[in-house]
Amino acid sequence: MTLRALGGVVIARLYVQRRVLLYACAAAFVVGILQPNGAVGPVVFCSLLGIAMALSQSPGRHPHLDRCEQGAPLFGRELARAMGLVPYLGASLAALCYASAQMIRGSHDAPFDLIIVLAAVAASTSTALCASIRRGWPRVLYILLAFSAGTMTYALAVTARALLAGFAFAALASFLALRQYGEALARYDPVEDL
Amino acid sequence: MPLLRMRNASFEGGGASAGPVTLDVYPGERTALALGSAREASIVALMASGIVKPSHGSVLIDDFDPRIQSINCKRVAALVPHEPCGLSESEFVRYVVYRAALWKIEPRRALAHAQLLRKRLDEMHEAFAFPLIGALVGMPKLVVLDRPAAAYAAQILTVLEGRAVFSAHASASEARAFLTSPFTASGRGGAPA
Repeated sequence: MTLRALGGVVIARLYVQRRVLLYACAAAFVVGILQPNGAVGPVVFCSLLGIAMALSQSPGRHPHLDRCEQGAPLFGRELARAMGLVPYLGASLAALCYASAQMIRGSHDAPFDLIIVLAAVAASTSTALCASIRRGWPRVLYILLAFSAGTMTYALAVTARALLAGFAFAALASFLALRQYGEALARYDPVEDL
Repeated sequence: MPLLRMRNASFEGGGASAGPVTLDVYPGERTALALGSAREASIVALMASGIVKPSHGSVLIDDFDPRIQSINCKRVAALVPHEPCGLSESEFVRYVVYRAALWKIEPRRALAHAQLLRKRLDEMHEAFAFPLIGALVGMPKLVVLDRPAAAYAAQILTVLEGRAVFSAHASASEARAFLTSPFTASGRGGAPA
Protein backbone atom coordinates (compact mmCIF):
# COMPACT_ATOMS: atom_id res chain seq x y z
CA MET A 1 0.00 0.00 0.00
CA THR A 2 1.32 3.41 -0.87
CA LEU A 3 1.46 6.09 1.78
CA ARG A 4 -1.02 8.07 -0.31
CA ALA A 5 -3.62 5.29 -0.18
CA LEU A 6 -3.04 4.87 3.56
CA GLY A 7 -3.37 8.64 4.03
CA GLY A 8 -6.47 8.70 1.82
CA VAL A 9 -8.30 6.14 3.95
CA VAL A 10 -7.20 7.71 7.25
CA ILE A 11 -8.07 11.28 6.24
CA ALA A 12 -11.45 10.28 4.76
CA ARG A 13 -12.42 8.30 7.88
CA LEU A 14 -11.23 10.99 10.29
CA TYR A 15 -13.08 13.61 8.23
CA VAL A 16 -16.44 11.82 8.49
CA GLN A 17 -15.90 11.43 12.25
CA ARG A 18 -14.61 14.95 12.82
CA ARG A 19 -17.45 15.92 15.16
CA VAL A 20 -17.04 12.79 17.28
CA LEU A 21 -13.30 13.49 17.41
CA LEU A 22 -13.90 17.08 18.54
CA TYR A 23 -16.30 15.96 21.30
CA ALA A 24 -13.86 13.23 22.38
CA CYS A 25 -11.00 15.75 22.68
CA ALA A 26 -13.20 18.22 24.57
CA ALA A 27 -14.41 15.47 26.93
CA ALA A 28 -10.81 14.29 27.50
CA PHE A 29 -9.78 17.84 28.37
CA VAL A 30 -12.65 18.23 30.87
CA VAL A 31 -11.95 14.84 32.51
CA GLY A 32 -8.23 15.75 32.62
CA ILE A 33 -9.07 18.95 34.50
CA LEU A 34 -11.28 17.00 36.95
CA GLN A 35 -8.90 14.03 37.44
CA PRO A 36 -5.37 15.35 36.86
CA ASN A 37 -3.37 12.87 38.96
CA GLY A 38 -2.23 9.38 38.02
CA ALA A 39 -2.32 7.35 34.82
CA VAL A 40 -5.41 5.28 35.60
CA GLY A 41 -7.85 8.06 34.60
CA PRO A 42 -6.39 8.71 31.12
CA VAL A 43 -5.77 4.99 30.49
CA VAL A 44 -9.39 4.04 31.23
CA PHE A 45 -10.93 7.10 29.54
CA CYS A 46 -8.80 7.06 26.39
CA SER A 47 -9.02 3.25 26.03
CA LEU A 48 -12.81 3.50 26.15
CA LEU A 49 -12.70 6.30 23.57
CA GLY A 50 -10.42 4.20 21.35
CA ILE A 51 -12.77 1.21 21.65
CA ALA A 52 -15.76 3.41 20.74
CA MET A 53 -13.90 4.86 17.75
CA ALA A 54 -12.81 1.38 16.63
CA LEU A 55 -16.42 0.17 16.81
CA SER A 56 -17.49 3.14 14.71
CA GLN A 57 -15.41 1.61 11.88
CA SER A 58 -17.96 -1.24 11.76
CA PRO A 59 -19.27 -1.95 8.25
CA GLY A 60 -22.47 -0.05 7.55
CA ARG A 61 -21.65 3.02 9.69
CA HIS A 62 -20.19 4.86 6.69
CA PRO A 63 -21.56 2.78 3.77
CA HIS A 64 -20.14 4.95 1.01
CA LEU A 65 -16.58 4.74 2.35
CA ASP A 66 -17.04 0.99 2.92
CA ARG A 67 -18.02 0.41 -0.71
CA CYS A 68 -15.15 2.56 -2.04
CA GLU A 69 -12.62 0.68 0.08
CA GLN A 70 -14.07 -2.77 -0.65
CA GLY A 71 -13.95 -2.02 -4.38
CA ALA A 72 -10.42 -0.54 -4.30
CA PRO A 73 -7.41 -2.64 -5.36
CA LEU A 74 -6.11 -3.03 -1.79
CA PHE A 75 -5.27 -6.15 0.22
CA GLY A 76 -7.15 -6.88 3.46
CA ARG A 77 -4.00 -6.34 5.52
CA GLU A 78 -3.38 -2.96 3.88
CA LEU A 79 -6.90 -1.84 4.65
CA ALA A 80 -6.56 -3.19 8.20
CA ARG A 81 -3.47 -1.02 8.81
CA ALA A 82 -5.24 2.08 7.54
CA MET A 83 -8.45 1.36 9.46
CA GLY A 84 -6.43 0.58 12.59
CA LEU A 85 -4.68 3.92 12.41
CA VAL A 86 -7.99 5.87 12.46
CA PRO A 87 -9.22 5.04 16.01
CA TYR A 88 -5.63 5.05 17.29
CA LEU A 89 -5.03 8.59 16.01
CA GLY A 90 -8.41 9.70 17.38
CA ALA A 91 -7.77 8.25 20.84
CA SER A 92 -4.18 9.56 20.84
CA LEU A 93 -5.43 13.08 20.12
CA ALA A 94 -7.82 12.73 23.06
CA ALA A 95 -4.90 11.49 25.19
CA LEU A 96 -2.91 14.59 24.22
CA CYS A 97 -5.83 16.79 25.29
CA TYR A 98 -6.01 14.88 28.57
CA ALA A 99 -2.27 15.36 29.14
CA SER A 100 -2.58 19.09 28.34
CA ALA A 101 -5.31 19.42 30.97
CA GLN A 102 -3.16 17.51 33.49
CA MET A 103 -0.25 19.87 32.86
CA ILE A 104 -2.50 22.91 33.26
CA ARG A 105 -3.52 21.51 36.66
CA GLY A 106 0.19 21.18 37.53
CA SER A 107 0.69 17.42 37.25
CA HIS A 108 4.41 16.76 36.69
CA ASP A 109 3.88 13.12 35.68
CA ALA A 110 1.68 14.00 32.69
CA PRO A 111 4.32 13.36 29.95
CA PHE A 112 5.25 10.01 31.55
CA ASP A 113 1.55 9.08 31.89
CA LEU A 114 0.97 10.04 28.25
CA ILE A 115 3.49 7.43 27.05
CA ILE A 116 1.73 4.70 29.06
CA VAL A 117 -1.67 5.90 27.80
CA LEU A 118 -0.52 5.78 24.15
CA ALA A 119 0.69 2.18 24.62
CA ALA A 120 -2.55 1.13 26.36
CA VAL A 121 -4.66 2.83 23.68
CA ALA A 122 -2.74 0.99 20.92
CA ALA A 123 -3.48 -2.38 22.56
CA SER A 124 -7.17 -1.67 23.22
CA THR A 125 -8.07 -0.03 19.88
CA SER A 126 -6.33 -2.74 17.81
CA THR A 127 -8.18 -5.47 19.71
CA ALA A 128 -11.49 -3.58 19.50
CA LEU A 129 -11.17 -3.45 15.69
CA CYS A 130 -11.70 -7.23 15.66
CA ALA A 131 -15.05 -6.63 17.38
CA SER A 132 -16.09 -4.16 14.68
CA ILE A 133 -16.65 -6.91 12.07
CA ARG A 134 -18.33 -9.39 14.42
CA ARG A 135 -21.78 -9.66 15.89
CA GLY A 136 -23.34 -11.10 19.04
CA TRP A 137 -21.19 -12.76 21.71
CA PRO A 138 -17.90 -12.67 19.74
CA ARG A 139 -18.29 -8.90 19.53
CA VAL A 140 -18.90 -8.56 23.28
CA LEU A 141 -15.94 -10.82 24.07
CA TYR A 142 -13.60 -8.84 21.81
CA ILE A 143 -14.71 -5.59 23.47
CA LEU A 144 -13.95 -7.09 26.92
CA LEU A 145 -10.62 -8.35 25.58
CA ALA A 146 -9.84 -4.87 24.23
CA PHE A 147 -10.49 -3.26 27.59
CA SER A 148 -8.43 -5.96 29.32
CA ALA A 149 -5.53 -5.34 26.92
CA GLY A 150 -5.46 -1.64 27.90
CA THR A 151 -5.77 -2.48 31.60
CA MET A 152 -3.03 -5.12 31.39
CA THR A 153 -0.65 -2.58 29.82
CA TYR A 154 -1.37 -0.22 32.74
CA ALA A 155 -0.98 -3.02 35.28
CA LEU A 156 2.41 -4.03 33.91
CA ALA A 157 3.75 -0.50 33.38
CA VAL A 158 2.45 1.16 36.58
CA THR A 159 1.32 -1.40 39.17
CA ALA A 160 4.11 -3.94 38.50
CA ARG A 161 6.59 -1.11 37.69
CA ALA A 162 7.76 -3.05 34.61
CA LEU A 163 7.53 -0.30 32.00
CA LEU A 164 9.27 -2.24 29.23
CA ALA A 165 7.11 -5.31 29.86
CA GLY A 166 4.03 -3.07 29.54
CA PHE A 167 5.25 -1.67 26.22
CA ALA A 168 6.20 -5.14 24.97
CA PHE A 169 2.76 -6.46 25.89
CA ALA A 170 1.04 -3.53 24.14
CA ALA A 171 3.18 -4.00 21.00
CA LEU A 172 2.54 -7.75 20.89
CA ALA A 173 -1.20 -7.38 21.52
CA SER A 174 -1.50 -4.68 18.82
CA PHE A 175 0.49 -6.73 16.31
CA LEU A 176 -1.55 -9.91 16.84
CA ALA A 177 -4.86 -8.02 16.84
CA LEU A 178 -4.05 -6.14 13.61
CA ARG A 179 -3.02 -9.39 11.88
CA GLN A 180 -6.22 -11.05 13.00
CA TYR A 181 -8.25 -8.02 11.85
CA GLY A 182 -6.53 -8.02 8.44
CA GLU A 183 -7.30 -11.69 7.90
CA ALA A 184 -10.91 -11.26 9.03
CA LEU A 185 -11.27 -8.22 6.75
CA ALA A 186 -9.94 -10.18 3.75
CA ARG A 187 -12.54 -12.90 4.40
CA TYR A 188 -15.32 -10.45 5.26
CA ASP A 189 -18.46 -10.75 3.15
CA PRO A 190 -20.11 -7.38 2.49
CA VAL A 191 -23.40 -9.17 1.73
CA GLU A 192 -24.15 -9.03 5.48
CA ASP A 193 -24.54 -5.24 5.20
CA LEU A 194 -27.17 -5.40 2.46
CA MET B 1 -12.12 -12.66 -24.65
CA PRO B 2 -15.01 -11.45 -22.47
CA LEU B 3 -14.24 -8.89 -19.76
CA LEU B 4 -16.82 -10.50 -17.50
CA ARG B 5 -17.58 -14.21 -17.64
CA MET B 6 -20.09 -15.67 -15.17
CA ARG B 7 -20.84 -19.40 -15.31
CA ASN B 8 -23.62 -20.63 -13.01
CA ALA B 9 -22.35 -18.08 -10.52
CA SER B 10 -24.44 -18.11 -7.39
CA PHE B 11 -24.08 -16.86 -3.84
CA GLU B 12 -25.43 -18.28 -0.62
CA GLY B 13 -24.68 -17.00 2.85
CA GLY B 14 -25.61 -14.46 5.48
CA GLY B 15 -29.30 -15.33 4.96
CA ALA B 16 -29.11 -14.25 1.32
CA SER B 17 -28.90 -16.04 -1.99
CA ALA B 18 -28.48 -14.96 -5.60
CA GLY B 19 -28.14 -16.59 -8.99
CA PRO B 20 -27.19 -18.79 -10.70
CA VAL B 21 -26.14 -16.34 -13.39
CA THR B 22 -24.46 -17.21 -16.69
CA LEU B 23 -23.39 -14.41 -19.01
CA ASP B 24 -20.50 -12.86 -20.93
CA VAL B 25 -19.77 -9.15 -21.29
CA TYR B 26 -17.29 -8.24 -24.03
CA PRO B 27 -15.27 -5.00 -24.27
CA GLY B 28 -17.51 -2.08 -25.25
CA GLU B 29 -20.65 -4.17 -24.81
CA ARG B 30 -23.58 -3.37 -22.54
CA THR B 31 -25.60 -5.97 -20.65
CA ALA B 32 -28.57 -5.36 -18.37
CA LEU B 33 -29.85 -8.18 -16.17
CA ALA B 34 -33.16 -8.20 -14.32
CA LEU B 35 -33.18 -10.23 -11.12
CA GLY B 36 -35.86 -11.34 -8.69
CA SER B 37 -35.26 -8.77 -5.94
CA ALA B 38 -33.23 -5.70 -5.06
CA ARG B 39 -31.02 -7.75 -2.73
CA GLU B 40 -30.32 -10.36 -5.38
CA ALA B 41 -29.48 -7.65 -7.93
CA SER B 42 -27.10 -6.08 -5.44
CA ILE B 43 -25.32 -9.39 -4.72
CA VAL B 44 -24.94 -10.14 -8.45
CA ALA B 45 -23.46 -6.65 -8.98
CA LEU B 46 -21.03 -7.25 -6.10
CA MET B 47 -20.04 -10.61 -7.63
CA ALA B 48 -19.56 -9.06 -11.06
CA SER B 49 -17.21 -6.43 -9.62
CA GLY B 50 -15.11 -8.96 -7.67
CA ILE B 51 -16.14 -7.70 -4.23
CA VAL B 52 -18.16 -10.80 -3.31
CA LYS B 53 -16.85 -14.25 -4.23
CA PRO B 54 -19.36 -16.73 -5.66
CA SER B 55 -20.28 -19.73 -3.48
CA HIS B 56 -20.82 -21.94 -6.54
CA GLY B 57 -19.91 -21.60 -10.21
CA SER B 58 -17.29 -19.20 -11.49
CA VAL B 59 -16.75 -15.52 -12.18
CA LEU B 60 -13.82 -14.33 -14.26
CA ILE B 61 -13.05 -10.64 -14.70
CA ASP B 62 -10.65 -10.11 -17.60
CA ASP B 63 -9.64 -13.76 -16.97
CA PHE B 64 -8.78 -13.04 -13.31
CA ASP B 65 -10.49 -15.09 -10.63
CA PRO B 66 -11.79 -12.91 -7.74
CA ARG B 67 -11.21 -15.78 -5.30
CA ILE B 68 -7.43 -15.61 -5.76
CA GLN B 69 -6.72 -12.45 -7.82
CA SER B 70 -9.11 -10.02 -6.18
CA ILE B 71 -6.78 -7.02 -6.60
CA ASN B 72 -6.42 -7.57 -10.37
CA CYS B 73 -10.20 -7.87 -10.71
CA LYS B 74 -10.71 -4.57 -8.87
CA ARG B 75 -8.30 -2.81 -11.25
CA VAL B 76 -10.46 -3.91 -14.19
CA ALA B 77 -14.00 -3.58 -12.79
CA ALA B 78 -15.54 -0.70 -10.85
CA LEU B 79 -18.81 -0.82 -8.97
CA VAL B 80 -21.28 2.05 -8.91
CA PRO B 81 -23.41 1.38 -5.81
CA HIS B 82 -27.15 1.88 -5.79
CA GLU B 83 -27.21 3.96 -2.61
CA PRO B 84 -26.79 7.71 -3.19
CA CYS B 85 -23.78 9.16 -1.40
CA GLY B 86 -24.34 11.88 1.18
CA LEU B 87 -21.71 14.28 -0.11
CA SER B 88 -22.30 17.89 -1.06
CA GLU B 89 -20.92 19.74 -4.10
CA SER B 90 -18.29 21.40 -1.88
CA GLU B 91 -16.83 17.97 -1.03
CA PHE B 92 -16.31 16.98 -4.68
CA VAL B 93 -12.57 17.70 -4.81
CA ARG B 94 -11.97 15.89 -1.49
CA TYR B 95 -13.93 12.88 -2.77
CA VAL B 96 -12.05 12.69 -6.08
CA VAL B 97 -8.67 12.99 -4.35
CA TYR B 98 -9.72 10.18 -1.97
CA ARG B 99 -10.73 7.90 -4.86
CA ALA B 100 -7.53 8.77 -6.74
CA ALA B 101 -5.48 7.82 -3.66
CA LEU B 102 -7.23 4.44 -3.37
CA TRP B 103 -6.63 3.67 -7.05
CA LYS B 104 -3.12 5.16 -7.01
CA ILE B 105 -3.95 7.70 -9.71
CA GLU B 106 -2.20 11.04 -9.93
CA PRO B 107 -4.62 13.48 -8.18
CA ARG B 108 -4.34 16.30 -10.75
CA ARG B 109 -5.12 13.93 -13.60
CA ALA B 110 -8.03 12.43 -11.66
CA LEU B 111 -9.41 15.89 -10.85
CA ALA B 112 -9.21 17.06 -14.47
CA HIS B 113 -11.01 13.89 -15.60
CA ALA B 114 -13.60 14.18 -12.83
CA GLN B 115 -14.37 17.82 -13.59
CA LEU B 116 -14.91 16.95 -17.24
CA LEU B 117 -17.31 14.18 -16.22
CA ARG B 118 -19.12 16.49 -13.76
CA LYS B 119 -19.79 18.91 -16.62
CA ARG B 120 -21.25 16.09 -18.69
CA LEU B 121 -23.40 15.02 -15.75
CA ASP B 122 -24.41 18.52 -14.69
CA GLU B 123 -28.12 17.69 -14.73
CA MET B 124 -27.68 14.67 -12.48
CA HIS B 125 -27.99 15.10 -8.71
CA GLU B 126 -24.58 14.97 -7.01
CA ALA B 127 -25.69 12.05 -4.79
CA PHE B 128 -25.92 9.89 -7.93
CA ALA B 129 -23.27 11.61 -10.06
CA PHE B 130 -20.40 11.44 -7.54
CA PRO B 131 -20.31 7.62 -7.19
CA LEU B 132 -20.36 7.28 -10.98
CA ILE B 133 -17.55 9.83 -11.40
CA GLY B 134 -15.64 8.18 -8.55
CA ALA B 135 -15.88 4.80 -10.24
CA LEU B 136 -14.51 6.26 -13.49
CA VAL B 137 -11.54 7.90 -11.76
CA GLY B 138 -9.80 4.49 -11.68
CA MET B 139 -10.17 4.13 -15.50
CA PRO B 140 -11.95 0.75 -15.32
CA LYS B 141 -12.50 -1.36 -18.43
CA LEU B 142 -15.75 -2.71 -16.99
CA VAL B 143 -18.32 -0.66 -15.07
CA VAL B 144 -20.83 -2.55 -12.93
CA LEU B 145 -23.99 -0.64 -12.05
CA ASP B 146 -26.00 -1.80 -9.06
CA ARG B 147 -29.67 -0.93 -9.76
CA PRO B 148 -28.98 2.39 -11.50
CA ALA B 149 -31.84 4.92 -11.62
CA ALA B 150 -33.75 4.46 -14.87
CA ALA B 151 -34.46 8.21 -14.95
CA TYR B 152 -30.75 8.88 -15.46
CA ALA B 153 -30.17 6.06 -18.00
CA ALA B 154 -29.32 8.32 -20.94
CA GLN B 155 -26.86 10.48 -18.95
CA ILE B 156 -25.19 7.48 -17.31
CA LEU B 157 -24.74 5.68 -20.61
CA THR B 158 -23.36 8.80 -22.30
CA VAL B 159 -20.39 8.98 -19.93
CA LEU B 160 -19.86 5.21 -20.12
CA GLU B 161 -19.68 5.14 -23.90
CA GLY B 162 -16.93 2.83 -25.14
CA ARG B 163 -16.65 0.87 -21.87
CA ALA B 164 -18.12 -2.52 -21.07
CA VAL B 165 -21.16 -2.01 -18.85
CA PHE B 166 -23.03 -4.55 -16.76
CA SER B 167 -26.09 -3.42 -14.86
CA ALA B 168 -28.12 -5.48 -12.40
CA HIS B 169 -31.74 -4.46 -11.85
CA ALA B 170 -34.61 -5.47 -9.60
CA SER B 171 -37.20 -5.29 -12.38
CA ALA B 172 -37.36 -6.01 -16.11
CA SER B 173 -38.72 -2.52 -16.89
CA GLU B 174 -35.67 -0.85 -15.30
CA ALA B 175 -33.34 -3.20 -17.17
CA ARG B 176 -35.16 -2.31 -20.39
CA ALA B 177 -34.52 1.40 -19.75
CA PHE B 178 -30.81 0.66 -19.99
CA LEU B 179 -31.29 -1.19 -23.26
CA THR B 180 -33.77 1.06 -25.05
CA SER B 181 -31.85 4.26 -24.37
CA PRO B 182 -30.65 6.00 -27.58
CA PHE B 183 -27.07 5.03 -26.68
CA THR B 184 -27.69 1.29 -26.39
CA ALA B 185 -27.38 0.11 -29.95
CA SER B 186 -25.30 -2.95 -28.99
CA GLY B 187 -27.00 -3.71 -25.68
CA ARG B 188 -28.16 -7.13 -24.55
CA GLY B 189 -30.65 -7.91 -21.82
CA GLY B 190 -31.27 -10.81 -19.52
CA ALA B 191 -34.47 -12.32 -18.23
CA PRO B 192 -35.16 -12.54 -14.50
CA ALA B 193 -33.03 -15.35 -13.04
